Amino acid sequence: MQDESDRLELLVKAKQLVESIEAKNDARTDELLSAMSVDRERGLFKEVGHLTRQLHDNLSSFALDEQLIDLTGKEIPDAKERLNYVIEMTDDAAHKTLNAIDEILPVTTEMQQKSELLSKNWKRFLSRELSLGEFKDMSGEISQFLEYSCVNMKVLNDKTNEIVLAQGYQDLTGQIIRKVITLVQSVEDSLVDLVRISGSPEEGDSSSKKAEKGVLEGPVVPGVVVEGSVNSQDEVDDLLSSLGF
Amino acid sequence: MKILVVDDFSTMRRIVKNLLRELGFTNLDEADDGQTAWPKLKAGGYDFLVTDWNMPGMTGIELLKTVRANPETANMPVLMVTAEQKREQIIEAAQAGVNGYIIKPFTAATLKEKIDKIFARSAG
Repeated sequence: MQDESDRLELLVKAKQLVESIEAKNDARTDELLSAMSVDRERGLFKEVGHLTRQLHDNLSSFALDEQLIDLTGKEIPDAKERLNYVIEMTDDAAHKTLNAIDEILPVTTEMQQKSELLSKNWKRFLSRELSLGEFKDMSGEISQFLEYSCVNMKVLNDKTNEIVLAQGYQDLTGQIIRKVITLVQSVEDSLVDLVRISGSPEEGDSSSKKAEKGVLEGPVVPGVVVEGSVNSQDEVDDLLSSLGF
Repeated sequence: MKILVVDDFSTMRRIVKNLLRELGFTNLDEADDGQTAWPKLKAGGYDFLVTDWNMPGMTGIELLKTVRANPETANMPVLMVTAEQKREQIIEAAQAGVNGYIIKPFTAATLKEKIDKIFARSAG
Protein backbone atom coordinates (compact mmCIF):
# COMPACT_ATOMS: atom_id res chain seq x y z
CA MET A 1 0.00 0.00 0.00
CA GLN A 2 1.07 3.53 -0.65
CA ASP A 3 1.40 6.01 2.13
CA GLU A 4 0.14 9.64 2.24
CA SER A 5 3.24 11.26 0.65
CA ASP A 6 3.17 8.76 -2.23
CA ARG A 7 -0.47 9.60 -2.70
CA LEU A 8 0.19 13.39 -2.78
CA GLU A 9 3.05 12.89 -5.24
CA LEU A 10 0.78 10.83 -7.45
CA LEU A 11 -1.92 13.52 -7.28
CA VAL A 12 0.58 16.21 -8.35
CA LYS A 13 1.67 14.04 -11.29
CA ALA A 14 -1.94 13.33 -12.25
CA LYS A 15 -2.75 17.06 -12.28
CA GLN A 16 0.31 17.70 -14.46
CA LEU A 17 -0.85 14.93 -16.78
CA VAL A 18 -4.36 16.42 -17.08
CA GLU A 19 -2.85 19.86 -17.77
CA SER A 20 -0.54 18.53 -20.48
CA ILE A 21 -3.39 16.59 -22.16
CA GLU A 22 -5.60 19.73 -22.11
CA ALA A 23 -2.68 21.74 -23.53
CA LYS A 24 -2.36 19.06 -26.25
CA ASN A 25 1.33 18.76 -25.36
CA ASP A 26 1.79 15.13 -26.53
CA ALA A 27 5.50 14.91 -25.82
CA ARG A 28 4.99 16.09 -22.25
CA THR A 29 2.05 13.65 -21.80
CA ASP A 30 4.17 10.70 -22.92
CA GLU A 31 6.98 11.75 -20.60
CA LEU A 32 4.63 12.00 -17.62
CA LEU A 33 2.96 8.65 -18.37
CA SER A 34 6.23 6.74 -18.56
CA ALA A 35 7.47 8.38 -15.35
CA MET A 36 4.30 7.14 -13.62
CA SER A 37 4.69 3.57 -14.87
CA VAL A 38 8.31 3.51 -13.67
CA ASP A 39 7.05 4.47 -10.20
CA ARG A 40 4.49 1.69 -10.38
CA GLU A 41 7.16 -0.89 -11.25
CA ARG A 42 9.39 0.33 -8.46
CA GLY A 43 6.56 -0.33 -5.98
CA LEU A 44 6.19 -3.85 -7.33
CA PHE A 45 9.92 -4.51 -6.96
CA LYS A 46 9.76 -3.24 -3.39
CA GLU A 47 6.97 -5.69 -2.60
CA VAL A 48 8.83 -8.62 -4.22
CA GLY A 49 11.94 -7.65 -2.23
CA HIS A 50 9.91 -7.63 0.96
CA LEU A 51 8.46 -11.10 0.27
CA THR A 52 11.93 -12.46 -0.59
CA ARG A 53 13.31 -11.20 2.71
CA GLN A 54 10.45 -12.77 4.63
CA LEU A 55 11.01 -16.12 2.89
CA HIS A 56 14.71 -15.94 3.64
CA ASP A 57 14.04 -15.19 7.32
CA ASN A 58 11.64 -18.08 7.57
CA LEU A 59 14.12 -20.46 5.99
CA SER A 60 16.84 -19.26 8.37
CA SER A 61 14.61 -19.85 11.35
CA PHE A 62 14.04 -23.43 10.15
CA ALA A 63 17.77 -23.90 9.90
CA LEU A 64 18.24 -22.46 13.37
CA ASP A 65 15.93 -25.02 14.88
CA GLU A 66 18.69 -27.37 16.09
CA GLN A 67 16.25 -29.94 17.30
CA LEU A 68 14.88 -30.36 13.80
CA ILE A 69 18.36 -30.67 12.31
CA ASP A 70 19.23 -33.25 14.89
CA LEU A 71 16.04 -35.17 14.21
CA THR A 72 16.34 -35.25 10.45
CA GLY A 73 20.10 -35.56 10.26
CA LYS A 74 20.75 -38.07 13.00
CA GLU A 75 17.82 -39.30 15.03
CA ILE A 76 15.64 -40.51 12.17
CA PRO A 77 18.44 -42.38 10.36
CA ASP A 78 19.37 -43.82 13.76
CA ALA A 79 15.77 -44.87 14.30
CA LYS A 80 15.82 -46.67 10.97
CA GLU A 81 18.96 -48.51 12.05
CA ARG A 82 17.32 -49.32 15.35
CA LEU A 83 14.19 -50.72 13.76
CA ASN A 84 16.25 -52.72 11.29
CA TYR A 85 18.14 -54.11 14.25
CA VAL A 86 14.83 -55.09 15.85
CA ILE A 87 13.98 -57.06 12.70
CA GLU A 88 17.42 -58.66 12.78
CA MET A 89 17.13 -59.60 16.44
CA THR A 90 13.66 -61.07 16.15
CA ASP A 91 14.76 -62.94 13.04
CA ASP A 92 17.83 -64.24 14.83
CA ALA A 93 15.83 -65.31 17.88
CA ALA A 94 13.22 -67.06 15.75
CA HIS A 95 15.93 -68.97 13.88
CA LYS A 96 17.82 -69.90 17.03
CA THR A 97 14.59 -71.23 18.50
CA LEU A 98 13.60 -73.13 15.36
CA ASN A 99 17.12 -74.54 14.95
CA ALA A 100 17.09 -75.80 18.51
CA ILE A 101 13.67 -77.37 17.94
CA ASP A 102 14.98 -78.98 14.72
CA GLU A 103 17.61 -80.66 16.83
CA ILE A 104 15.24 -81.59 19.63
CA LEU A 105 12.44 -83.17 17.58
CA PRO A 106 14.41 -86.05 15.96
CA VAL A 107 15.78 -86.92 19.39
CA THR A 108 12.37 -87.02 21.05
CA THR A 109 10.89 -88.98 18.12
CA GLU A 110 13.65 -91.56 18.28
CA MET A 111 13.41 -91.83 22.06
CA GLN A 112 9.68 -92.32 21.77
CA GLN A 113 10.02 -95.10 19.18
CA LYS A 114 12.71 -96.88 21.21
CA SER A 115 10.80 -96.66 24.45
CA GLU A 116 7.64 -97.96 22.78
CA LEU A 117 9.52 -100.98 21.47
CA LEU A 118 11.17 -101.61 24.81
CA SER A 119 7.95 -101.28 26.71
CA LYS A 120 6.28 -103.79 24.36
CA ASN A 121 9.07 -106.31 24.96
CA TRP A 122 9.05 -105.57 28.66
CA LYS A 123 5.35 -106.38 28.85
CA ARG A 124 6.02 -109.65 27.02
CA PHE A 125 8.80 -110.40 29.50
CA LEU A 126 6.47 -109.73 32.44
CA SER A 127 3.89 -112.15 31.01
CA ARG A 128 6.72 -114.67 30.48
CA GLU A 129 6.40 -114.69 26.71
CA LEU A 130 10.06 -113.96 26.08
CA SER A 131 12.56 -116.67 25.18
CA LEU A 132 16.02 -116.58 26.77
CA GLY A 133 17.55 -115.36 23.50
CA GLU A 134 14.99 -112.56 23.21
CA PHE A 135 15.55 -111.61 26.84
CA LYS A 136 19.29 -111.29 26.24
CA ASP A 137 18.59 -109.07 23.24
CA MET A 138 16.24 -106.96 25.30
CA SER A 139 18.65 -106.44 28.17
CA GLY A 140 21.25 -105.32 25.63
CA GLU A 141 18.70 -102.89 24.20
CA ILE A 142 17.88 -101.60 27.68
CA SER A 143 21.54 -100.85 28.46
CA GLN A 144 21.89 -99.12 25.12
CA PHE A 145 18.69 -97.17 25.70
CA LEU A 146 19.83 -95.96 29.10
CA GLU A 147 23.17 -94.76 27.76
CA TYR A 148 21.42 -93.19 24.84
CA SER A 149 18.99 -91.34 27.11
CA CYS A 150 21.80 -89.91 29.23
CA VAL A 151 23.37 -88.39 26.12
CA ASN A 152 20.07 -87.28 24.63
CA MET A 153 18.74 -85.75 27.80
CA LYS A 154 21.86 -83.60 27.87
CA VAL A 155 21.14 -82.51 24.26
CA LEU A 156 17.52 -81.73 25.15
CA ASN A 157 18.63 -79.77 28.18
CA ASP A 158 21.20 -77.73 26.25
CA LYS A 159 18.83 -77.00 23.38
CA THR A 160 16.05 -76.02 25.73
CA ASN A 161 18.39 -73.57 27.43
CA GLU A 162 19.32 -72.15 24.04
CA ILE A 163 15.64 -71.51 23.43
CA VAL A 164 15.31 -69.83 26.81
CA LEU A 165 18.28 -67.58 26.14
CA ALA A 166 17.04 -66.65 22.67
CA GLN A 167 14.00 -65.01 24.30
CA GLY A 168 16.27 -62.19 25.47
CA TYR A 169 15.40 -60.40 22.26
CA GLN A 170 12.08 -59.38 23.82
CA ASP A 171 13.74 -57.18 26.44
CA LEU A 172 16.28 -55.67 24.04
CA THR A 173 13.88 -54.98 21.19
CA GLY A 174 11.39 -53.61 23.71
CA GLN A 175 13.96 -51.08 24.91
CA ILE A 176 14.83 -50.10 21.33
CA ILE A 177 11.21 -49.68 20.31
CA ARG A 178 10.52 -47.55 23.37
CA LYS A 179 13.32 -45.23 22.23
CA VAL A 180 11.83 -45.00 18.73
CA ILE A 181 8.43 -44.19 20.23
CA THR A 182 10.07 -41.33 22.15
CA LEU A 183 11.61 -40.17 18.87
CA VAL A 184 8.28 -40.25 17.06
CA GLN A 185 6.87 -38.14 19.89
CA SER A 186 9.64 -35.56 19.49
CA VAL A 187 9.17 -35.47 15.70
CA GLU A 188 5.54 -34.72 16.36
CA ASP A 189 6.46 -31.95 18.80
CA SER A 190 8.91 -30.49 16.27
CA LEU A 191 6.34 -30.48 13.52
CA VAL A 192 3.96 -28.64 15.81
CA ASP A 193 6.79 -26.16 16.53
CA LEU A 194 7.41 -25.80 12.81
CA VAL A 195 3.80 -24.98 12.13
CA ARG A 196 3.99 -22.39 14.89
CA ILE A 197 7.23 -20.90 13.49
CA SER A 198 5.89 -20.57 9.96
CA GLY A 199 2.78 -18.88 11.33
CA SER A 200 4.70 -16.20 13.22
CA PRO A 201 8.49 -16.22 12.93
CA GLU A 202 9.23 -14.38 16.19
CA GLU A 203 7.63 -17.02 18.41
CA GLY A 204 9.92 -19.79 17.23
CA ASP A 205 12.49 -19.79 20.01
CA SER A 206 13.86 -23.21 20.76
CA SER A 207 12.93 -23.40 24.42
CA SER A 208 12.03 -27.05 24.04
CA LYS A 209 15.63 -28.21 23.80
CA LYS A 210 16.18 -31.86 24.57
CA ALA A 211 19.33 -33.88 25.26
CA GLU A 212 19.15 -33.86 29.02
CA LYS A 213 22.12 -35.38 30.68
CA GLY A 214 21.87 -38.78 32.23
CA VAL A 215 19.57 -40.25 29.58
CA LEU A 216 20.17 -43.99 29.37
CA GLU A 217 21.29 -45.19 25.95
CA GLY A 218 19.83 -48.67 26.08
CA PRO A 219 21.05 -51.50 23.83
CA VAL A 220 23.86 -50.69 21.45
CA VAL A 221 22.66 -50.99 17.86
CA PRO A 222 25.08 -51.89 15.05
CA GLY A 223 25.52 -48.85 12.81
CA VAL A 224 24.43 -46.39 15.50
CA VAL A 225 27.55 -44.96 17.06
CA VAL A 226 27.26 -43.98 20.69
CA GLU A 227 30.33 -42.22 21.94
CA GLY A 228 32.14 -43.85 24.81
CA SER A 229 30.47 -47.23 24.51
CA VAL A 230 32.09 -50.61 24.88
CA ASN A 231 31.30 -53.27 22.29
CA SER A 232 31.64 -56.55 24.09
CA GLN A 233 31.66 -58.28 27.45
CA ASP A 234 35.45 -58.57 27.10
CA GLU A 235 35.74 -54.80 26.95
CA VAL A 236 33.58 -54.51 30.06
CA ASP A 237 35.84 -56.98 31.84
CA ASP A 238 38.97 -55.12 30.72
CA LEU A 239 37.54 -51.81 31.87
CA LEU A 240 36.58 -53.23 35.26
CA SER A 241 39.93 -54.92 35.74
CA SER A 242 41.66 -51.64 34.93
CA LEU A 243 39.62 -50.22 37.82
CA GLY A 244 40.96 -52.90 40.13
CA PHE A 245 38.19 -55.48 39.76
CA MET B 1 21.32 -68.95 48.97
CA LYS B 2 18.37 -66.68 48.19
CA ILE B 3 18.66 -64.51 45.08
CA LEU B 4 16.58 -61.51 44.02
CA VAL B 5 16.32 -60.91 40.26
CA VAL B 6 15.27 -57.37 39.29
CA ASP B 7 14.32 -56.43 35.72
CA ASP B 8 11.37 -54.53 34.27
CA PHE B 9 10.97 -57.07 31.43
CA SER B 10 9.33 -60.25 32.65
CA THR B 11 10.91 -62.31 29.85
CA MET B 12 14.38 -61.28 31.00
CA ARG B 13 13.51 -62.13 34.62
CA ARG B 14 12.42 -65.58 33.47
CA ILE B 15 15.60 -66.06 31.44
CA VAL B 16 17.88 -65.03 34.30
CA LYS B 17 15.92 -67.21 36.74
CA ASN B 18 16.08 -70.18 34.37
CA LEU B 19 19.81 -69.80 33.97
CA LEU B 20 20.33 -69.42 37.70
CA ARG B 21 18.25 -72.54 38.32
CA GLU B 22 20.41 -74.33 35.78
CA LEU B 23 23.46 -73.24 37.79
CA GLY B 24 21.95 -74.83 40.88
CA PHE B 25 20.32 -71.83 42.54
CA THR B 26 16.76 -72.70 43.39
CA ASN B 27 15.73 -70.11 45.94
CA LEU B 28 14.83 -67.27 43.58
CA ASP B 29 12.61 -64.26 43.88
CA GLU B 30 11.94 -61.39 41.49
CA ALA B 31 10.96 -57.71 41.37
CA ASP B 32 10.19 -55.45 38.41
CA ASP B 33 12.14 -52.36 39.46
CA GLY B 34 14.15 -50.84 42.30
CA GLN B 35 11.07 -49.55 44.02
CA THR B 36 9.56 -53.00 44.48
CA ALA B 37 12.96 -54.62 45.06
CA TRP B 38 14.14 -52.41 47.88
CA PRO B 39 11.40 -53.26 50.43
CA LYS B 40 12.13 -56.95 49.81
CA LEU B 41 15.87 -56.51 50.27
CA LYS B 42 15.35 -54.36 53.34
CA ALA B 43 13.13 -57.00 54.89
CA GLY B 44 16.14 -59.31 54.69
CA GLY B 45 16.77 -62.94 53.80
CA TYR B 46 18.51 -62.31 50.46
CA ASP B 47 22.12 -63.24 49.79
CA PHE B 48 22.62 -62.01 46.27
CA LEU B 49 21.10 -59.36 43.99
CA VAL B 50 20.98 -59.52 40.19
CA THR B 51 19.65 -56.29 38.70
CA ASP B 52 19.05 -54.51 35.42
CA TRP B 53 19.97 -50.82 35.14
CA ASN B 54 17.30 -49.11 33.04
CA MET B 55 13.99 -49.51 34.84
CA PRO B 56 11.09 -47.16 35.52
CA GLY B 57 10.51 -45.99 39.06
CA MET B 58 13.88 -46.74 40.58
CA THR B 59 16.81 -47.68 38.35
CA GLY B 60 19.35 -50.39 39.06
CA ILE B 61 22.12 -47.92 39.85
CA GLU B 62 19.90 -46.18 42.39
CA LEU B 63 19.04 -49.55 43.89
CA LEU B 64 22.74 -50.45 44.07
CA LYS B 65 23.55 -47.16 45.81
CA THR B 66 20.66 -47.68 48.24
CA VAL B 67 21.84 -51.22 48.99
CA ARG B 68 25.38 -50.01 49.66
CA ALA B 69 24.20 -47.11 51.81
CA ASN B 70 22.25 -49.36 54.13
CA PRO B 71 24.20 -51.21 56.86
CA GLU B 72 22.10 -54.40 56.68
CA THR B 73 22.56 -54.79 52.92
CA ALA B 74 25.88 -52.97 52.38
CA ASN B 75 27.88 -56.19 51.93
CA MET B 76 25.44 -57.99 49.64
CA PRO B 77 27.01 -59.06 46.33
CA VAL B 78 25.37 -57.27 43.41
CA LEU B 79 25.57 -58.34 39.78
CA MET B 80 24.37 -55.92 37.14
CA VAL B 81 22.91 -57.39 33.94
CA THR B 82 22.10 -54.56 31.56
CA ALA B 83 22.04 -53.25 27.99
CA GLU B 84 23.82 -50.08 29.14
CA GLN B 85 27.35 -50.20 27.82
CA LYS B 86 28.78 -46.71 28.04
CA ARG B 87 32.16 -46.58 29.69
CA GLU B 88 31.11 -43.85 32.07
CA GLN B 89 28.17 -45.95 33.22
CA ILE B 90 30.31 -49.03 33.83
CA ILE B 91 32.69 -46.83 35.82
CA GLU B 92 29.78 -45.34 37.73
CA ALA B 93 28.54 -48.83 38.64
CA ALA B 94 32.04 -49.85 39.70
CA GLN B 95 32.36 -46.78 41.87
CA ALA B 96 28.95 -47.48 43.40
CA GLY B 97 30.29 -50.89 44.42
CA VAL B 98 28.95 -53.36 41.88
CA ASN B 99 30.49 -56.85 42.07
CA GLY B 100 29.98 -57.86 38.45
CA TYR B 101 28.74 -56.27 35.23
CA ILE B 102 27.23 -58.21 32.34
CA ILE B 103 25.99 -56.62 29.13
CA LYS B 104 22.95 -57.94 27.29
CA PRO B 105 22.65 -60.06 25.26
CA PHE B 106 24.73 -62.46 27.33
CA THR B 107 25.42 -66.17 27.41
CA ALA B 108 24.86 -68.75 30.12
CA ALA B 109 28.65 -69.18 30.30
CA THR B 110 29.19 -65.47 31.01
CA LEU B 111 26.62 -65.53 33.79
CA LYS B 112 28.25 -68.59 35.34
CA GLU B 113 31.73 -67.10 35.07
CA LYS B 114 30.74 -63.83 36.77
CA ILE B 115 28.81 -65.55 39.54
CA ASP B 116 31.66 -67.97 40.21
CA LYS B 117 34.04 -65.04 40.38
CA ILE B 118 31.84 -63.12 42.81
CA PHE B 119 31.49 -66.05 45.17
CA ALA B 120 35.13 -67.10 44.89
CA ARG B 121 36.04 -63.59 45.98
CA SER B 122 33.51 -63.35 48.79
CA ALA B 123 34.57 -66.78 50.07
CA GLY B 124 38.26 -65.90 49.95
